[in-house]
Amino acid sequence: MVLQNKKNRVKALVLTGYGLNCDVETAHACGLAGASARCVHINDVISGAVSLKEFQIMIFIGGFSWADDHGAGVIQAVRMRKNAGDKILDFIYRGNLVLGICNGFQTLVNIGLLPGLEGDYTGRTVALTHNDCGNFRDDWVHLQINKDSPCVFTKGLKHMELPVRHGEGKFIAHDSVINRLVTENQVVCRYAVSDGLPAEGRFPENPNGSLLDIAGICDPTGRVFGLMPHPEAFNHPSNHPDRPRFNVLTGRGRISGDSFPATGISIFENAVRFFQ
Amino acid sequence: MPHRLEIALKPELFGAEGEGIKKKARAYFHIRAESVRIVNIVTIDKDLDPAQLEAVRNEIFTNPVTQVSSFKPLDLGFDWCIWVGYRPGVKDNPGHTAIEAIEDVLGISFDPEEGVYTSRRYCIRGEGLNRQDSETIAKELLANDIIQQTRIFSPDQWDPETGTGIIIPKVRLDHTPTVATISIESDRMLQQISDARNLALNPNDIPVIRRYFLEPEVLAERKAVGLDDPTDVELEYICQARSDHCNHNTFRGKFYYSDPAAGISRTIDSLFKTFIEAPTLRLKAEKDWVISVLWDNAGVGRFDENHNYVITGETHNSPSNMEAYGGAITGIVGVYRDPLGTGKGSRLIMGSYGFCVGNRDYNGELKPRLHPRRLLDGVIEGVRDGGNKSGIPTSFGQVTFHHGYMGKCLVFVTALGMMPSGVAGTPAEQKTTTPGDLILMCGGRVGKDGIHGVTASSEIFTEHTPAGHVQIGDPYTQKKMHDFLLEARDLGLIQFITDNGGGGLSSSVGESARFSGGCEVWLDRVPLKYAGLDQWEIWVSESQERMTVAVRPEDVERFLELSEKHAVESTVIGKYTDSGKLYITYEGETCAYVNMDFLARGFPQWEFEAVWIPPEMRGLCEPAMGEPADYGTLLKDMLARPNICSRQWIIRQYDHEVQGTSVIKPLVGKDRDVNSDACVIRPVLTSERGLGFSQALLPFYSQIDAYYMTSGTIDEAVRRLVAVGGDPGHIGGVDNFCWPSIQYDPEKNPDGKFKAAQLVRSCMALSDACLAFGIPLLSGKDSMYVDGHLPGKYGETHKLSALETMQFSATGVIEDINRCVTMDFKLPGDLIYVIGQTDDELGASEYYDMFGYIGLNIARPEPEKLLPMYRSLHTAVCRHLVSSMHGIYRGGLGVHLALCAIGGGLGLSAELDRVPVRTCLRADHVLFSESAGRFIVSVAPENRAEFESLLAKHPLACIGEIRKDGIFEILSGDRTIISLKTAELKAAWKAPFGGLI
Repeated sequence: MVLQNKKNRVKALVLTGYGLNCDVETAHACGLAGASARCVHINDVISGAVSLKEFQIMIFIGGFSWADDHGAGVIQAVRMRKNAGDKILDFIYRGNLVLGICNGFQTLVNIGLLPGLEGDYTGRTVALTHNDCGNFRDDWVHLQINKDSPCVFTKGLKHMELPVRHGEGKFIAHDSVINRLVTENQVVCRYAVSDGLPAEGRFPENPNGSLLDIAGICDPTGRVFGLMPHPEAFNHPSNHPDRPRFNVLTGRGRISGDSFPATGISIFENAVRFFQ
Repeated sequence: MPHRLEIALKPELFGAEGEGIKKKARAYFHIRAESVRIVNIVTIDKDLDPAQLEAVRNEIFTNPVTQVSSFKPLDLGFDWCIWVGYRPGVKDNPGHTAIEAIEDVLGISFDPEEGVYTSRRYCIRGEGLNRQDSETIAKELLANDIIQQTRIFSPDQWDPETGTGIIIPKVRLDHTPTVATISIESDRMLQQISDARNLALNPNDIPVIRRYFLEPEVLAERKAVGLDDPTDVELEYICQARSDHCNHNTFRGKFYYSDPAAGISRTIDSLFKTFIEAPTLRLKAEKDWVISVLWDNAGVGRFDENHNYVITGETHNSPSNMEAYGGAITGIVGVYRDPLGTGKGSRLIMGSYGFCVGNRDYNGELKPRLHPRRLLDGVIEGVRDGGNKSGIPTSFGQVTFHHGYMGKCLVFVTALGMMPSGVAGTPAEQKTTTPGDLILMCGGRVGKDGIHGVTASSEIFTEHTPAGHVQIGDPYTQKKMHDFLLEARDLGLIQFITDNGGGGLSSSVGESARFSGGCEVWLDRVPLKYAGLDQWEIWVSESQERMTVAVRPEDVERFLELSEKHAVESTVIGKYTDSGKLYITYEGETCAYVNMDFLARGFPQWEFEAVWIPPEMRGLCEPAMGEPADYGTLLKDMLARPNICSRQWIIRQYDHEVQGTSVIKPLVGKDRDVNSDACVIRPVLTSERGLGFSQALLPFYSQIDAYYMTSGTIDEAVRRLVAVGGDPGHIGGVDNFCWPSIQYDPEKNPDGKFKAAQLVRSCMALSDACLAFGIPLLSGKDSMYVDGHLPGKYGETHKLSALETMQFSATGVIEDINRCVTMDFKLPGDLIYVIGQTDDELGASEYYDMFGYIGLNIARPEPEKLLPMYRSLHTAVCRHLVSSMHGIYRGGLGVHLALCAIGGGLGLSAELDRVPVRTCLRADHVLFSESAGRFIVSVAPENRAEFESLLAKHPLACIGEIRKDGIFEILSGDRTIISLKTAELKAAWKAPFGGLI
């Protein structure tokens, strides 16, 4: 945990409203990472009742904004771009961090903040579309983290396990865009098998059929990051599905206590550390 | 001029949904399509200029990476094209969000007359497909004619310029709202009006209603406000309040119970008071953690010093039976309003489901409205969208197949919430209305949907049941309202809150006004979906996603401001008074004026004759069946039975991780694919306390005796909780009864008296078991009339009644979630214990059912003996002596040993002769008996002595150990009766539904 005195704590804005639904645990995750989090309604950002200038981290959270009726994250993106687009761009240009989780990732992609190729934060060049399996899916996945990525949020991480819960998480883009993302190391994390190697499209390790097993990407600066899995839902060791098994095995001395996977909080800790 | 936008996936991209339809068409109807491509249609009924149209097309409705779109029909090519759109008045959720988005992008607003309508067309290619095939796909897969309309085009019927044409399913009522008065000249006339208007009035209530309206004092008071004969608003109000759904007339009825064989007869004045209220009040007095029961929308228990949890359970059977998706989504979204309307409001933290349907592969002659397979698909999807889109984890659930549920399916939905112990300095579980408080309606608008839902659910389903009560829940609108109301609660702006469910405003305002002692409602202020509703329709409509809130006049401005920020509609529709009257006006004219206490007085109690015939006297006996020889195949076949096998495909569609609270998940084990006994969440993220939840349902036992069906179900729910580490000293219960009609009628319901006796016995067992286990009933509901009349081969009809069913949900606080255990075997060499006595109790078991037998010897749990054993086991868990723990449920020891092994990916060696039995039993009986009160526990060898001494007073035996080599070996005497790879057992268990995702 990153320790700081209260006054200078990094401030995170957790965007809420209109059917978004991971506000409580995302704010909690920020708190565990040492940030002070505030849940702010989309309309308070738009109206200016709450200014982005107070914050260093802005989080687009998971959920079903506008019920995902016309494509996941589409209407949220339209609304944010139209009514708060300049504020958000200004926020990014000032060197701050933006994180999009699940519906938030879908929104960042539809606003155009990701992948932000050549610093263009307005065009839609990648998409997150319906899972190949044809259904919403809740499962835990392994992630291989690209250590060469400029992504601020994943510094020092190699492998993670997190839950996915989505119906529209299949990452697709034109070959040229994908190649570009790979060469620029903007592909931050890929669905993997348990030994950490990419899933190579295999279901259910790759739960949605994402091209190149892509689970998350960042912009060229590494300060804007979006991913489908939910780091905030692994906020306590007990969230991990193997925890009861692990408790028995460590209790019996069969494995060591350090071998338990790091929680998703490390992603938030990296964000906080960035400002220190 | 309206505009029709067509949107499709780019042709080179894989269309998962189309692929799914292709697969189902082949699997369900042997129709082979080569491809199914889907076109989404957005019809905008508003004048927009070309630039505006391009803006909405590009910015909202078309993803440049994945989609193509056009305001002209897309040229996709097909052999058959099926268009599916909603009927007028059916809630079109995507149409509503489209309006929001268009308004936002263009900076314009829609008039009430304008709108957006969504529909789809499916372009199907396939050699040799004929019109009949496409009609089958349309009717049986894509659309339900209750809520949707379809059109089918062949290529030569398709005009590439006009496509489907412009179809606007707008509601046009062209009706001036009118209040009608109803003549009460005679009982007969009122009965006729009740029948004509579908009021479902009980004939015994009619004289009471007439007497009231003829009282001189009432006449005089009514005259003063301009009323004479009762109005339709008043009669509808009375009917709603008197319906079995709202008033629970069956459970509050008088039962003349007799058991002639035993020479017993007994009169029970109200099952509710006798068997639910009395034991719960007694237990509440003993248990200080019981905070609030028996009056609010849900029961309340203490979680910790700062938080209370809230729980309730509902069913949504009749609507789901007609429109599975719509019914189920309305059910789950609806039950979530109960905790939201409990105390001053609770945040939703968890949900669960229980589906009871006919056999999925039914191919007999009866024609249910929806085939069980389709019905199950629909209810699964309804709960999926309702739960997932609400942001509430669906952490537990079950599915039960039985022929009887083809008459009417059951859809159970359970909701848990959390409230702070105090709100703005007052206890959060308390609320009241005070004269002067304003009545606000929040959330959705009112339409014709859902009118007469409660009265319809109080009837047996026939082909003439009006479809108007089928709705489509809207979790998006409700989630916005949920967030808004909790913020308002924390600011102290809410004095009283309750939901609009059955009966609509009539019920929510009527009930909340009892606290203040009266109300005044201005019906013309209620926001409508479309004009032209009669006053009585506004008053009783069950349009979803609405809450009724009492707000002090000085807080209203702030409340409305907050509501606007959250994009939630809230409207002042009246005020609470202490006049003693329910006083309703419309544009200043009185349309109802009824004494608040009228409903509480003078109505006759319903009466039932209940005659019990013991199973032996009904001719039930044990089967004459010799011992099997091939136990390996037998066990594999047992594991593949629909009510035993894996249903992983359902569980993975449900988000059980949202809110970040998940501890024990619905699927556990090494490969995370075996059902957990119960689930545990950690609802307060800063705490290591947990809330365990389980539910059980054993309707099969009702074939012998509903008493033991009930005690067996409760015992199972308790054991499930204990198995994950729950404390048997803190369990709250929720009972959900679903019963066939118990009103005797020599022709229509010849066994009504017996079914009534089953209900009485079930309630006796509920009371007995809850008192013995110390379980207060935090909440409960009943849904009667689980019967259907299905047409057969020759046009004849058959009444099909569901088994007498009670689902029991159990919840309890878990002190430390780090102690929780799962059911999967963990380590080779660990000892396997069976705890609890196995007896010759195979009556109505899965084993007997496999051979078509019912049998006689039913499992008879004895809670007072079992509870001390459960306590000792809980101590063992707290001392970390247990590596895995699993209850032995349906299917018996054989099935559940296999599941523990499958969960661990390990083998075992076990000797049946060591299993604690009451009398000497044959091997198949030991393996498949369903005796209650039993567990399988694995224990490290070094913990053996401590574990055995802790449980010394209870039936317990070490029957073998866990093997590393993955061989599952069972010995009986010196015979090895089963020796299989655990992997083979797993394959058998997964086979039936393994192909579904």
